[in-house]
Amino acid sequence: MMPLVDVTLRGLLGRRRSILLVLLAGLPVFIALLVRLSGGRPDADRVLDTLVVRTVMPLVALIVGTAAIGSEIDDGTAVYLMIKPIPRWRIASSKIVVAAGLTAVLIVPAVIITGAVLGSRTDTMTTIVGFSVACFVGGSAYAAAFVALSAFTTRALLLGLAYVLIWEGVLSGLLEGTKFLSIRQATLGLAAAFGIDTPGDALSRTVSVVVLVVVLVGAALLTSWKLARFEIRGGD
Amino acid sequence: MTEPAQPPATAALEVDHVSRWYGNVVAVNDISFGLGPGVTGLLGPNGAGKSTLLHLMAGLLAPSAGRVLVEGASAWRRPEMYRHVGLVPEREAVHGFLTGLEFARLNARLQGVADPDGAAARAIDTVDLTEAANRPIGTYSKGMRQRAKLAGALVHEPRILLLDEPFNGMDPRQRLHMMTLLRSMAAAGRTILFSSHILEEVERLADSVLVVYAGRLAAAGDFRSIRRLMTDRPHTFTVRSSDDRRLAASLMADASVFGAELVSGHVAIRTAEYDAFTRALPQVARTAGVTLFEVRPTDDSLESVFSYLVRR
Repeated sequence: MMPLVDVTLRGLLGRRRSILLVLLAGLPVFIALLVRLSGGRPDADRVLDTLVVRTVMPLVALIVGTAAIGSEIDDGTAVYLMIKPIPRWRIASSKIVVAAGLTAVLIVPAVIITGAVLGSRTDTMTTIVGFSVACFVGGSAYAAAFVALSAFTTRALLLGLAYVLIWEGVLSGLLEGTKFLSIRQATLGLAAAFGIDTPGDALSRTVSVVVLVVVLVGAALLTSWKLARFEIRGGD
Repeated sequence: MTEPAQPPATAALEVDHVSRWYGNVVAVNDISFGLGPGVTGLLGPNGAGKSTLLHLMAGLLAPSAGRVLVEGASAWRRPEMYRHVGLVPEREAVHGFLTGLEFARLNARLQGVADPDGAAARAIDTVDLTEAANRPIGTYSKGMRQRAKLAGALVHEPRILLLDEPFNGMDPRQRLHMMTLLRSMAAAGRTILFSSHILEEVERLADSVLVVYAGRLAAAGDFRSIRRLMTDRPHTFTVRSSDDRRLAASLMADASVFGAELVSGHVAIRTAEYDAFTRALPQVARTAGVTLFEVRPTDDSLESVFSYLVRR
């Protein structure tokens, strides 16, 4: 598994993508510092909810998740992994572990620093721990889902963006019964389980955990299934 | 068409009535053959279906009909077969951020070989890439990339090697080196199949040949017999001379010619014996007192050769 993790990580951390990811993950920290320096003190819970859970985390997971295997399929380098005597589930799980891990490494420190800089109106430590755990699991679920999506389609970036902006941003807020189909709502539900006050009726802890686990396991199974049927593109 | 190559008793690769289509497009059409140790050339023009056939054999495409067997078992959805199979794909894409040595080492580690560092170093040395081994592949020329890809395919010393247009981008020295290498590997008992659209490459390297045209197997077997078929097919020449009518009349008396037609400004000659005709023409012209201005074969492209083989 290590060579798979190694090559995936090196592929993901190209100079331009690294800069983009660090800038994106650093955005909440930058804004928090800016607000504090200008004398304001908004509640960390609101900022982490709006800026990290709803915006930065899904975008970072989208960039990392779709690049973990999708870019290799697109540029043709995936073939060097597919012609090896390795069970495809190991390739799939390696890609998901790297994408989820990298998302967590980028997001969790941003949550901790942003929470510490702004502080909570209730309990700063609860906010930091709650959002860190929720973002660790939620970010992993997002990344896994986007890895799976990119195994199925070359338009994963576009479809992933549509899911985040349209489905999660608009529809799952309007249609109450569809909340359990939203990784964001499950992430917020998990944060709420730590005592964080999230807007609207959050999913229960059990439902949130079940949703996130189903997404993680389902993404791994779907990616494995698809890679087992991998067909090369191009050629005459 | 020559007799389809019968699978050897111990065929390393067996393609059994395989077709592959994409929607309404048939890329490979009911092809059967078997391959054993030695070098086989997969010859055909661009777009003939060579890569599709190689990808089917490499387990990277599912046959729409028929079956592909590698060492007796299906090639499709059987990753464990890659312990004995190496593939050099045509696409240039290689992880550009890795050095040549790192790429070979990655392949060795993914193959699970006992000593990946040693295997990678040996493979790099075998393909004559030692000097550039520590440079990122992104900085390589096309020929160097081909050699890096070959090194990656050789690290586990596969019994079967599939190469898709392996000589693309190589200079003559590199080409010669790779041909020598592939020949020595075949002599050691390996089954090697390489695709090419260049007749001379196949002629220089392959013991046997599979000719593919428009998704069909046009000819298969010993290279020399197929070369003869290609040479002895009906040919058409366009000849311009000082007296086309007299030349046409004189040529019709020659046994190598079976048709001569006066067309405005030249005479079109049809012959079934390429060599005999090209030897006879100057003598016939001299005897008839006719000066030759231009002699040009009109159907000597590989396309027309392949098309002829399919029609036979």
